[in-house]
Amino acid sequence: MEKLERLLNLAAALLDAERALTADELRDRVGGYPDAKAAFRRSFERDKDDLRAMGLPIRVEPVAGTDPPIDGYRMRRSDYSGTELRLEPDELAALHLATNLVRLDGDDSGLLKLGGRAGDHADEVGRVPFDDALAVLIAAAADRRAVTFTYKETRRTVEPWRLSFSRGHWYLAGWDRTRDDGRLYRVDRISGTVEPGDAAIHEIGSVSDPVDLRGWQLGDGDPLVARVAIDAVQAAHARHLLGDVVEAPDGGVVAELEVRNREAFRSFVLSFLDHAEILEPPELRDSMIEWLESFR
Amino acid sequence: MNPRLTAPQRMARLLAVIPWVVERGGAPIDEIARRFDYPRSQLVADLTEVVLFVGVHPFTPDSLIEVDITDDRVQIHYADWFSRPLRLTPEEGARLLTAGRSVLSLSDSDTISDHPTDAEIDDGRDAAGPLLRALTKLGMALGDGADHAVEVRLGDAPEATLQTLRTAVADRTQVELAYYTYGRDELTTRTIDPARVFSDHGHWYLHGWCHRAGAERVFRVDRIREVRSTGEPVEHELAGGGVAFAADGDDPRVELRLPADAAWVVEQYPTESTEIRDDGTLAVTMAVTAVPWLERLLLRLGPTAEIVAADEPLSPDLVSEAADRILSRYRQ
Repeated sequence: MEKLERLLNLAAALLDAERALTADELRDRVGGYPDAKAAFRRSFERDKDDLRAMGLPIRVEPVAGTDPPIDGYRMRRSDYSGTELRLEPDELAALHLATNLVRLDGDDSGLLKLGGRAGDHADEVGRVPFDDALAVLIAAAADRRAVTFTYKETRRTVEPWRLSFSRGHWYLAGWDRTRDDGRLYRVDRISGTVEPGDAAIHEIGSVSDPVDLRGWQLGDGDPLVARVAIDAVQAAHARHLLGDVVEAPDGGVVAELEVRNREAFRSFVLSFLDHAEILEPPELRDSMIEWLESFR
Repeated sequence: MNPRLTAPQRMARLLAVIPWVVERGGAPIDEIARRFDYPRSQLVADLTEVVLFVGVHPFTPDSLIEVDITDDRVQIHYADWFSRPLRLTPEEGARLLTAGRSVLSLSDSDTISDHPTDAEIDDGRDAAGPLLRALTKLGMALGDGADHAVEVRLGDAPEATLQTLRTAVADRTQVELAYYTYGRDELTTRTIDPARVFSDHGHWYLHGWCHRAGAERVFRVDRIREVRSTGEPVEHELAGGGVAFAADGDDPRVELRLPADAAWVVEQYPTESTEIRDDGTLAVTMAVTAVPWLERLLLRLGPTAEIVAADEPLSPDLVSEAADRILSRYRQ
């Protein structure tokens, strides 16, 4: 028997079961398994893992009347179908269109369950990075559950509030139970897997939105207010990037920035090469001069 | 299309195909193959040689799924266990929610009007209404926090610029750009036959034919300083595509020695080779598309990052020269 047939029969048997069935009972009902006990066990375990990876909700329950209790398996039909979305045809079509317009990196198995890819007449307008860890984080934020992950070599338990994609990076805002504080994380700096956990306790709060934050604003301590002159050739760029700037008579602009992270501020000013100059405060101006002199 | 699907991949597709066909009371085989990314011959084989034999113990004929393919149309009966779609996992739901929210972020701007034109309906920009409803239902299934769980900004560029470019693409008319080439640190004026506006990993791009370069080019929209629609029809029709970054084979190479804490450079910049030396420093070779680009990188890294070797015409002293140029501003 082909593996596909065995997997389908196993799923049918689990759905058909009125009570949890032992592995041996399933072997008899499904067929197609090797006779040798160890080989059967291996291939049964692999099949079970495959079905779970597809999202089939297999329950493990002790089989009634066994002592010591033996694990049995079954699948409830209500678990299998889950909450029906009851999408109207135009809603379904809109969702399909959305997945055509904006492609997320990786496989889209969810779309299959909604009837596959409908039409590809729409031009893709965007591509967004996406991966499994991100899906777990978004699902946890939606379902108000905590997650555990490693960030900057520290294991943390966080209640996710919101995942935001901005300027090419995903950010997680949430309540860090380990630090007892609201925090912002770069999702691509999370190492390893993200483990879903128990229900969130802390109310949804907010940390500064990454959309509004610039590298030089990310830091601890009191901010220094810096004034930076930017030449006319870069004025439009600066205006767009920084919003509130003061026009200078020569066509350039002067920007006032709150600096909490000096290194990031220096990098930002250097990105203008010789089209920008720190005017104030002397502390930041002198440190830029010192930095530049160190290249000699 | 996937030439060889694994058994679990085929099963995941079948669990989606079966309820879809059952609900419709039958469907053309080609449409199933296309929708579910299922190679046609594999699909036919799986339906007629496998699904037909699926059932429950004791596999009497009345417990088996019935599959009938006539005139390239598939009908499926008695697929009791699999007649409804498998639930979306929370992670799959999160993906759909993200794609949907991304499209809504487009509609927040004035690219989707309240009263869409026929052209807008055709290319789907009218999707906002039903999409919002779909996402609300999806959100209810995912949990109380779904409404605010995810937000996507496809790019950071002035809306008016994007609007002008999109209109020009739709009308097939030329635009004139004042474009700042970041790598070369120069501002140029170019006439472009625009082909497509797209977002890639957080930035908006314009793909088109550049008359100044006499070639296809991709431009970062946030570096367009001014855009003007000329109303002239485009001269070059381009097929889709457009790659955001591509190093030219002729670009000079530079070999850098970077301190260990500058390993992020390797992740963020296209490097050709990387080697960790015994003292923990990194030896990195990269193509230099333009000098100011390298100047910025090295100025940012500081003097512990060094040029070990550089192809002509790159100067090994280019960083100290750039530092001097900037310093002269501070000395006036």
